[in-house]
Amino acid sequence: MTERRVSPPEKIRIEGDRKTAIETGRNRLMVAGALFAAAFLVISTRVVDVSIFSSEAEPRYSRSITKTEKYTGRADIVDRNGVLVATSVNTASLYANPRLVLDPEQAALKLSRALPDINVEAIERKLRSDRGFVWLRRHLTPRQQYAVNRLGIPALNFQREARRMYPLGPLASHVLGFTDIDNKGLAGIERYFDKELRSRQHNMALSVDIRVQHVLEHELSIAMEKFGAIGAAGLVMDVETAEILGMASLPDFDPNQPGAIDNEVRFNRTTQGVYEMGSTFKIFTTAMAFDAGTATMRSGYDATDPIRVARFVIRDYHAKKRWLSVPEIFMYSSNIGSVKMALDVGIKDHRKFLTQLGMLKPVRVELSETGSPLSPSQWREINSMTISFGHGLAVSPLHLVAGVSAIVNGGIYRTPTLIRRDARETVVGKRVISEQTSLNMRRLMRLVVENGTGRKASAPGYLVGGKTGTAEKVSGRGYKNKALISSFIAAFPMHKPKYVVLAMLDEAKGTKETLGYATGGWVAAPVIGAVVRRIAPVLGLRPIKTQDAAHEALSVKISEKSGRGRRVAAN
Amino acid sequence: MRGFVSPQRLSLGHKMLQINWGLILIVTATAAIGVAMLYSAANGSWNPWATRQIARYAVGLVILITVALVDIRLWWRYSYLLYAALLALLAAVEVVGSIGMGAQRWINLGVITLQPSELMKVGLTLALARYFHGVSSEDVRRIPYLFVPLVLIALPSALVLKQPDLGTALFLIMIGGAVFFVAGVRLWKFGLVLAAAGAAVPIVWSTLRTYQQRRILTFLDPESDPLGAGYHILQSKIALGSGGLFGKGFMQGSQSHLNFLPEKQTDFIFTMMAEEFGMAGGLLLLGLYILIMIYGFAIGLRSRTHFGRLLALGLTSMLFLYVFINIAMVMGLIPVVGVPLPLISYGGNAMLTLMIGIGFMINVYVHRDVKISRTGGGDG
Repeated sequence: MTERRVSPPEKIRIEGDRKTAIETGRNRLMVAGALFAAAFLVISTRVVDVSIFSSEAEPRYSRSITKTEKYTGRADIVDRNGVLVATSVNTASLYANPRLVLDPEQAALKLSRALPDINVEAIERKLRSDRGFVWLRRHLTPRQQYAVNRLGIPALNFQREARRMYPLGPLASHVLGFTDIDNKGLAGIERYFDKELRSRQHNMALSVDIRVQHVLEHELSIAMEKFGAIGAAGLVMDVETAEILGMASLPDFDPNQPGAIDNEVRFNRTTQGVYEMGSTFKIFTTAMAFDAGTATMRSGYDATDPIRVARFVIRDYHAKKRWLSVPEIFMYSSNIGSVKMALDVGIKDHRKFLTQLGMLKPVRVELSETGSPLSPSQWREINSMTISFGHGLAVSPLHLVAGVSAIVNGGIYRTPTLIRRDARETVVGKRVISEQTSLNMRRLMRLVVENGTGRKASAPGYLVGGKTGTAEKVSGRGYKNKALISSFIAAFPMHKPKYVVLAMLDEAKGTKETLGYATGGWVAAPVIGAVVRRIAPVLGLRPIKTQDAAHEALSVKISEKSGRGRRVAAN
Repeated sequence: MRGFVSPQRLSLGHKMLQINWGLILIVTATAAIGVAMLYSAANGSWNPWATRQIARYAVGLVILITVALVDIRLWWRYSYLLYAALLALLAAVEVVGSIGMGAQRWINLGVITLQPSELMKVGLTLALARYFHGVSSEDVRRIPYLFVPLVLIALPSALVLKQPDLGTALFLIMIGGAVFFVAGVRLWKFGLVLAAAGAAVPIVWSTLRTYQQRRILTFLDPESDPLGAGYHILQSKIALGSGGLFGKGFMQGSQSHLNFLPEKQTDFIFTMMAEEFGMAGGLLLLGLYILIMIYGFAIGLRSRTHFGRLLALGLTSMLFLYVFINIAMVMGLIPVVGVPLPLISYGGNAMLTLMIGIGFMINVYVHRDVKISRTGGGDG
């Protein structure tokens, strides 16, 4: 114990010193403790303050909120069953403020590393310009945006944008149309409803059934390839509501790549294209004659000799060179008989009838791409004569489909639409023919598929009825003999028609299989058969397997001049 | 019992009984809260933080008890040596330290990455306690005697500042100041130093890194840059405010779990705790710290040696500074300086430092009646 051994004076000094030290130490310790306590009191108060009294709300960042908000570009478009066909995807677009770019050459080079497909010189030129804003690249993918961010080039920035996407690609492209890079509708529904799509919050439902659309496009493209046609058009329409379930125009385009669409493929053959329809027009001629009472199912006309009018000679393609009953005229597509039927009704009433069917005005549908019919400026006898078998009046395929719908649905014309109608909605229309005429026309159309030129359009169990049409294309002043518009218009099931289907091929060429023929019955009718077989089950129609009343109702008694009856039954 | 055993020679068993198990219990409770918060921070997973934190605590506890049981005279004898060793490590960081978070702070020892600046907080306290222990109360009032301790503070502070880690440098200076204060240095000298420090502010400001300057500027006006440097503080305040009286519940803190809150497992863990357990949770934790510090003061008051008292006080100050700086920081009372919340935040070095520090506190208590002479040796 060293400390105890030290001499007393020193010990006292040390003890005394230590005592002061201890005293000071203790005092100071207390003060320090008090200070610490005070500090803790401050932070405790603060804890209470921030957790209870101050409600520190999320501060408002005027700058950031605009960036994080969902960009609502355009409303989505869906098909009649709700399948998404057009939508908007948020993307980032790259822009620059060239005035802030330090080294345009370096920046352009760096950018080309992140975005290999850009034009370095063009970008550099943009970055050198004396402007405050230049677009460098629109609609980057997140990966590209990341790559650009990684470059760390100042003066570059991103603008949130919405890019229009069409998940089904070229399907229904002519219906949908497309938008430009600024989301402005340039064609189709996108153009027609541009303003509405921009403002509306909910989806827009089309009348198109994308399944039907696909079948239609698929079958048409097969036929197009098979017969070397330069184009094709097809339509499927509900006869009761006039809703268009399918509208196909080939060749089509991918609306996702608006820059790659040239005017040729943009052309919508079903509404924009007007064609002389040929024999399918005999449907209207015959219906008109029935309704006017100038012809009946039992009457007939002499079709032995061609008709000569001025410098024209009107012949029959499948000339029978004999008296033909009206069903035969229709079945064998006799031009001579049709001309005589039309002349019996009279040119004024002929014109009036076609006007009622909307054939002389642009068709009304929710598309901007509609073509005006080419009709004679002065309606003379010769016009009526040629129009009776579908020449001298060019209408769009949609005109034809809308007209035939009215003929088969009981006689009511309704304006076609691409927008889905409410199921409870009653669709107003105007009567153009009587129900009896409509029934007779259905029987005749059924006859064509049963026994006439349209046998290849048959779809077992679905009672398809229709009419072929083959027209020579107008080329300059005259007709191009080898260039044909081959079509077939059908309705099914004929005892109670639900849908009208049109198939049309532009400049189809005959093959060995078709014995060199490229007429509607050879090239377009098979498309109808295939389409009906595929869409009827999708649309919920059951095939009729048994001979039943439907067949009976559609049977036609063909009169011959001798008066001997011949019953042609559908089976 | 004390009567039968000479305070100078304590058996190991006796020392074990002398250990403040109550203090260790509080420390363990605090650390347990920390583990729970780390479990929550990982969205209800023991990985990556909670299990490792438990392991660190276990190792720390062993070290704590070891530190507490070693004779205080031995610590007294080797305190300068420890200080010198840590100073050497701190210098070594400059040379071989690996780069982490933009500043050189770690030294990789293979088993652990050591952050000497953290341990230096204890080392500096030891060295200063030893120095003032050997200086009479009269000499303390004389300026020449203050030269050595000032150098003791200045050397590590300068090295840490060079890393650069302004927060830790100031931390060391403040620990030194606390020891100076309790050692009896005249108050006017503190005033002088503060005045000098005030005068030095412009000079220091110019030597600060840009990010350090920005932190201070942001502290003064966090709304000036809500998405940049002010983001931490604003998000932290929002989280604190959203906790309310009793919080949103364990693992329910939306600000923390949706990653609005930065560094929630380390520096901003108090915010997360306050969000999930509210004001009650925050005050409970503060209460635990206050208990630990009361132990520290009581130990200091009870110690019969100047060394022990200064050591206990210095270490209590260290704990206080940790808690105060961290909590004041997350609540936006002071700038963000990157000080962890003791025993709670994820991080091995802070845990180690705290456990060693508390080990020394308990050591002082265990050896409270052991005498140490001014020149060494204590007794014969």
